[in-house]
Amino acid sequence: MVTARGLVHAYGERRAVDGVDLDLAPGERVALAGANGAGKSTLLRMLATLVRPKAGTLTVLGHAIPDAARAARTGIGYLAHDPLVYLDLTARQNLELYGDLYGVADRDARITDLLDDVGLAVRAEDTVRTFSRGMAQRLALARMLLHRPRLLLLDEPHASLDAAGADRLDRELDAARDDGRAAVIVTHDVERVARVADRLVVLRAGRVVLDTPMGDLDPMDVRRLYTGVAP
Amino acid sequence: MRGRQLAALVRKDLRLELRTRETIVAMVLFAIVMLVILEFGLGTRDGDLTRFAGGLMWVTLAFTAVLGVGRSYVAEREQRVLDGLLVAPVPRVVLLGAKAIAILIYMAAVEVVVIPLVGIFFVKGPYWDSIGWIAITALLADVCIALAGTLFSGLALFTRARDLILPVLFLPALVPVVIAGAGATHAVAGGPHDMSEWRGYCLFLAAYAILFALVSVATYDAVFDD
Repeated sequence: MVTARGLVHAYGERRAVDGVDLDLAPGERVALAGANGAGKSTLLRMLATLVRPKAGTLTVLGHAIPDAARAARTGIGYLAHDPLVYLDLTARQNLELYGDLYGVADRDARITDLLDDVGLAVRAEDTVRTFSRGMAQRLALARMLLHRPRLLLLDEPHASLDAAGADRLDRELDAARDDGRAAVIVTHDVERVARVADRLVVLRAGRVVLDTPMGDLDPMDVRRLYTGVAP
Repeated sequence: MRGRQLAALVRKDLRLELRTRETIVAMVLFAIVMLVILEFGLGTRDGDLTRFAGGLMWVTLAFTAVLGVGRSYVAEREQRVLDGLLVAPVPRVVLLGAKAIAILIYMAAVEVVVIPLVGIFFVKGPYWDSIGWIAITALLADVCIALAGTLFSGLALFTRARDLILPVLFLPALVPVVIAGAGATHAVAGGPHDMSEWRGYCLFLAAYAILFALVSVATYDAVFDD
């Protein structure tokens, strides 16, 4: 699903991502952890085709990035810090917009199902401006799932979801494993994500310093690798 | 697919505008105020401003366009939605086209008010029988304004001083539009129509629109690249 070799991205002189290799197989769910500024979000944005690699090679869903980025985007579901929805449109109007952008064939039925699924059916005709942060993030979850993506890219997804929203997301991640979809989950809360991830990748200063199955995880190792200092 | 995406993006901009009424209302009010100021500033000194009417109209519309173009990505920027559009499989040229169509509609809405007011304030002699020719001039000029405005607002989107950068980039690009628009308007307003002069200016506007369309299509991918 994803093959990255020697990925580099820099902001000015500072390398945010510095020679990252990453492979992601169908059905695999990878937690991406690291301290603030470790390069997690930049790497996720590179996988989402939002940031162009300065060096290295990247293939997403079989498409070389950046040359075939548009083809890859049809299969990417991206959940960011921000819900990426218009505050002055209703929940349904936002999903209609994204349904048209992704060419979803059964748009209206799919929207109705998803709004019901994330618990927003009764607020479907309300503008997002009237939503709480958690409700907006549940709408973002529906937006991400609308076009049935094969690769889920999630940036701290549990941070602003309420318990029901977080449970819905976890169910989706479990279903992803069973359906052969893949997921990358940026997180600071490794324990929370351990339930739904198969593998942990830790970044420090833009480099991969740990890549291990979740079952082999030693929390002390993670803390040490976050900071480079023994606990 | 591209048609569906384009229609969805235009519909979204119009829905946002209908709900908030922030851009068109501000543009119309700005244009009216500017025309009134020009009328008071110039009208009392020279009773007949007919030969300046085209220039006054297009200067007003150029500054009004800066106001509208400056707001064209406000929702995406302030509500942080741009990544949602960019991560979708939408060709960048469709984003360009949708914003350009929205700006075109905003300009047309302003001109419905401005063109008659120019006739009332500044033109002595036949004007209303020229409205059709002026409307064609305005449509061609609006295509230029929309394409150039979308390109420059996209460029300014990723700069820190975007509110300063946009007029600095955009207004010089509008100088040929103001010259041709004023020339074409002058050719048909307030006296005998000089259709050959009007046609020449309109051809110039059409050529300018094609030039900006080509530049925009060639560069818009790069505008949204990292």
